[in-house]
Amino acid sequence: MVAIVEAANLKKTYLLGKVPVEALRGVNLKVENGDFLAVLGPSGSGKSTLLNLIGALDKPTSGKMLIEGVDVSTLNDNQLADLRRRIGFVFQFFNLIPRFTARENVELSMSIAGIGSAERRKQAEDLLETVGLKERMNHKPNELSGGEQQRVAIARALVNNPRFLLMDEPTGNIDSKTANEILGLLKRLNEEKGVTIIMVTHDQGLAKQSKRIVQMLDGLVAGELVN
Amino acid sequence: MKLGDVFSYSFSAIKLRKLRAGLTTLGVVIGIAAIVALLSITQGLQDTITRELQTGFATDTLIVSSGRGAGLSAMGGGDSGFKLFVNDTQTINEIENVSMSLAIIQRVGYVQFGGKNRTVAIVGVDFVEYASIYSSTFVAESGAVPLNPENDTVVVGKRVSDPWKNETLFCNVNDGVEILWTNGTARPPKNETYAGHVAAVLQEVGGFGIGPSDSYIYIPLSKAESFFGTDECDMIIVKLVNDDTATIDSTSKAIRDAFDKQISVTSATAVLSILSNVFSVIQLFLSGIAAISLLVAGIGIMNIMIVSLMERTREIGILKALGMKSRTVLTVFLGESAIIGLMGAAIGIALGWVLANVVALVFHGGGIFFGNQATGVGGISITPVLTPTVFLGALIFGVGVSVIFALYPAWRASKLKPVEALRYE
Repeated sequence: MVAIVEAANLKKTYLLGKVPVEALRGVNLKVENGDFLAVLGPSGSGKSTLLNLIGALDKPTSGKMLIEGVDVSTLNDNQLADLRRRIGFVFQFFNLIPRFTARENVELSMSIAGIGSAERRKQAEDLLETVGLKERMNHKPNELSGGEQQRVAIARALVNNPRFLLMDEPTGNIDSKTANEILGLLKRLNEEKGVTIIMVTHDQGLAKQSKRIVQMLDGLVAGELVN
Repeated sequence: MKLGDVFSYSFSAIKLRKLRAGLTTLGVVIGIAAIVALLSITQGLQDTITRELQTGFATDTLIVSSGRGAGLSAMGGGDSGFKLFVNDTQTINEIENVSMSLAIIQRVGYVQFGGKNRTVAIVGVDFVEYASIYSSTFVAESGAVPLNPENDTVVVGKRVSDPWKNETLFCNVNDGVEILWTNGTARPPKNETYAGHVAAVLQEVGGFGIGPSDSYIYIPLSKAESFFGTDECDMIIVKLVNDDTATIDSTSKAIRDAFDKQISVTSATAVLSILSNVFSVIQLFLSGIAAISLLVAGIGIMNIMIVSLMERTREIGILKALGMKSRTVLTVFLGESAIIGLMGAAIGIALGWVLANVVALVFHGGGIFFGNQATGVGGISITPVLTPTVFLGALIFGVGVSVIFALYPAWRASKLKPVEALRYE
């Protein structure tokens, strides 16, 4: 079976001003269907860079980044955009569009995918119900708490049946009680609906809740642990 | 992403910054309104003048006057020293395609009635022939234009009878008026005068032309010859058998040849075509000036779109992370400017139309151009004309300028890299 995500000797070098910074120095990683993987590491370990590459937001300097067996480096702009539609992003700062309501934010991904408005509305309501926000769906982000915004972001990420959820510090900006609720939601999605989840975090406690932990340090995978 | 969704997304972004979008739109509104107002007024003016000329200047007539100059010089008189005489009509009448010709002797003089004095142009014509050429304008409103006029018969224009347009008449049918002319060639200059009898007041002609005018008085040609002491005429009006271009051209040439090219022959169609050319140039010039203001509006749009692009860099990053294609981002931004352009053009066309009508009203009421009581022509009425070409042109131009100036910011937005855009604070 083809791994959903496979990184082979993945390298990424940034230019910070004129100084080249090696963010990834040869990462090897495999994520199978149904996995719940935590990428754990301190800041500067390259985990966010890895996340961007897995999410097809960026291209590697060298090495291979395969999503469902397709090398991301070989794709053009349009193909990358198509690929991103099949990936469910959840950003650290939620990244909701402030002028849209919760429902409209969830609908946006579907609208980008060209889905008609009636279908969008129904799916968005179903997804917001899944994340427990049906009552608040007509509120704008600034009327929602951090946890609620994160749920909206998760609902938006679940649109279009993504191949996997990609999460950047999913509990980084919410209190611990809400964080536990979110984690519960993620576990449920993973166990009941079989959603593959890859999350990046520096929080060991959170990482321990996943099925598998990849420890990163200085742009390399330093170790792997199955919970 | 469906086009409808793209536009609805663009519109949501515009709604977010209403004041800013409003001010940007205002730039387009002003530019388009200026273009529409100027074009519809000049078009209206051209239509009015053309219509006036066509009524007062029958299209199947030629104007023969002394002087070799071509075209409009006929109106100003020639300068060759060659003179036209009343009996030159006999020569002209023998030329092919000429159905009749009539001589006109014209002087500036005065009419006196009840102790009051008015400056008028005194025109000596054969009433019957004149009425047959200008059958729609040389028509009596009260009284009747006599077929066999007495020597003292006078026919007056509407503005001579009713100069103040308020029914306070200067003179009326059956009044006896004193007609005065100063013979400036006599030494010492001599005032000629005779008592006339008003047989008819003409109906209002309006505007201007070579034909009958509201501010003229008409006396029989024979009386004019004796009163002005000359058989030299100012112009000869030639009526042709039809108004085909070929007839006009060949007859014009034949008449010129008959007088050894010492005279000028002007046709109504030639004057109209010159006029139409002049108006085209004026329209082009005016719309050029108005277009500059639209250009400034375009730069405003570009400026605003660049600011908007910077503010929304992160949003663009989100959209791209959610799978929006670069060309869709481009369309979103172009859509915003197209909406601004469309709104601006629509409001601008409406505003320009209102403006044109207001200006026309001022023209009509005040008679800015021709309201001078001394000439007594009266206010000219302009009906602004908004042609479909101007309407569509303004719409396309407004949207076009907006979209063109948004191309660069939209292109920059579409080229943003998702990772960098998401990191943008």
